[in-house]
Amino acid sequence: MSDVEEAAALLFREATYLDKGEWDAWVAMYHRDAVFWLPAWRDEYEMTDDPQTQVSLIYHDRRYGLEERISRIESRKSITALPLPRTLHQIGNVELIAGKDGMMQSESAFAVHVFDPRTAREHTRYGRYEHSFVRESDAWLISRKKITLINDRVPTVLDFYSI
Amino acid sequence: MNAPLRHDAGLRAIAALIDDRPHEQVFEVDRRIFTDPAVYEAEVKHIFEATWNFVGLETQISQPDDFVTTHIGRHPVMLTRDRDGGINCFLNTCRHRGTIVCPFKSGRRALHVCRYHGWSYDSAGRNVAIPELAAGQYPQGFERRDHDLIKVAKLGSYRGFIFASLSSDVPPLDDYLGETKRFLDLVLDQSESGEVEFVAGSSTYTFDANWKLQFENGLDYYHFAATHSSYVDILKRRPADAASKLGLPEEVDEEEGQGSFNFDHGHAVNWSIKRAQLYGRPLSYDPSVLDAARKRVGSDRAKWMLRQRNLTIFPNLQVIDILSAQVRTWRPLAANKTEMVSHCLAPVGEQPDLRAIRIRNYEDFFNPTGLASSDDNVMYEFCQSGYEADVAGNTQGYLRGAGHASAGNSRHAAELGVVPHEWSFGTLGFGGETNFHSGYREWKRLLERAATRNA
Repeated sequence: MSDVEEAAALLFREATYLDKGEWDAWVAMYHRDAVFWLPAWRDEYEMTDDPQTQVSLIYHDRRYGLEERISRIESRKSITALPLPRTLHQIGNVELIAGKDGMMQSESAFAVHVFDPRTAREHTRYGRYEHSFVRESDAWLISRKKITLINDRVPTVLDFYSI
Repeated sequence: MNAPLRHDAGLRAIAALIDDRPHEQVFEVDRRIFTDPAVYEAEVKHIFEATWNFVGLETQISQPDDFVTTHIGRHPVMLTRDRDGGINCFLNTCRHRGTIVCPFKSGRRALHVCRYHGWSYDSAGRNVAIPELAAGQYPQGFERRDHDLIKVAKLGSYRGFIFASLSSDVPPLDDYLGETKRFLDLVLDQSESGEVEFVAGSSTYTFDANWKLQFENGLDYYHFAATHSSYVDILKRRPADAASKLGLPEEVDEEEGQGSFNFDHGHAVNWSIKRAQLYGRPLSYDPSVLDAARKRVGSDRAKWMLRQRNLTIFPNLQVIDILSAQVRTWRPLAANKTEMVSHCLAPVGEQPDLRAIRIRNYEDFFNPTGLASSDDNVMYEFCQSGYEADVAGNTQGYLRGAGHASAGNSRHAAELGVVPHEWSFGTLGFGGETNFHSGYREWKRLLERAATRNA
């Protein structure tokens, strides 16, 4: 398998875990110190680019932030997950940006179709992913994921599974 | 003239959907105020487009030619800083054919050129160009007519919080804001320079429910334990190295509890005193910053700065000062659809480490992508759907605290030198609802006023 095929396989696996609600398997793909970052838009053209001085829509600088989000939707206490929306991630345009010595970076395009069984409403979130992977104990782990969300007017709720 | 008469009767009928009899401790709200398109139409025209609305901060337009665009009710408006340093608020519609003159959210521009035929305006709203005017064969006198952008009827700023009204029939801004100014001061004076700013990166979100659900929720402590229990669990479990540092214990000698103040013109505040906090605040993280604030404002007001305060300035603004500070505004798009804009509010020149804590706390709590506000948004939609059960009659959601609501001064209000027309105080489980009454009384008053004028 070439590097780009390997990166694409990881992206597809991540998407499948999210769509099937296999949260433990999903979060295990992330390095303990992984950054998960969904910047906000400053205006029509520019996104925020510094999480320490600007607001992001989501910013976690360790996997623990994602684990908190999982615990929240599994708690059956957050109304956002009662019922949980169903999602379908589709990923394409996968490009390998860099890859050497146990590191890989990829860029890709995504569309997530979200269906809310409570209201029968549906919407699509779409944008671009930037993934960084590190090789650890013979497995690739995500060390950084940055998400450019093109349609950022949030319809009621938006969480890690819908982007 | 049948149509205006029907309209007038409609407005009276709408105003009567709130049954407010304080002496009998009756406060009933008909579900249709949340669901009926005619109520939405009346609110937009006779409330949002008839009184002061918050439109932005002066620090958003700090330099000459800076602008931001927003809405007052249905009206698109632009806020500008002109070259003389003045603030302006214009209807964002070309005098020629009504086109949106400025299609951007914010920026800096000396000239706003309408893209349709090229009519141009400067940052003071003056028309500076009508292309091919001489060749236009306009009727006599056209050149002498006013072609400038139309200013809103009233514009004012309180320490950088800008408010505008499409109607000139409003009290002076100073009177309109009244005692709420003391609560804006509590936010503003956390800044050494007295200036606050929006941290870059706002969020815009919608929910399929009525705007008054957000109005109520911002004044509602009662929902917190149930609606946000998953968030509370997360905070309790969060290890010290992942948590924002907790604030200093402030209220060691104070009786814990929750209270509210109702003010004139629909404004209200709810607030709480807690000895143990689940989260810290930027102000209390660094003792030297807190000491400086104490020296600046005195110990009573510094104490108030560390209390949770949810301020509602009717009809479209809430300023929440808890673990971070949020400015949120809403724009009703339909009886069952609302657009929200949320900003992280911060002192200008804040220390970088405190700013970073403020931002993380804001994202956690206030973002629609965070761990708490999203629960509220979904809950509003559950209410909106539930309100369709019209034959269930009025809800029972407006009476917590009505048994002990008091008029006149309170010892807590006295610390700030404010005199609410009604106040409440109870235990941490109190969650009073009488602070919604203020906004609904102004709602009713404005609709009744409109009915009288149309008569």
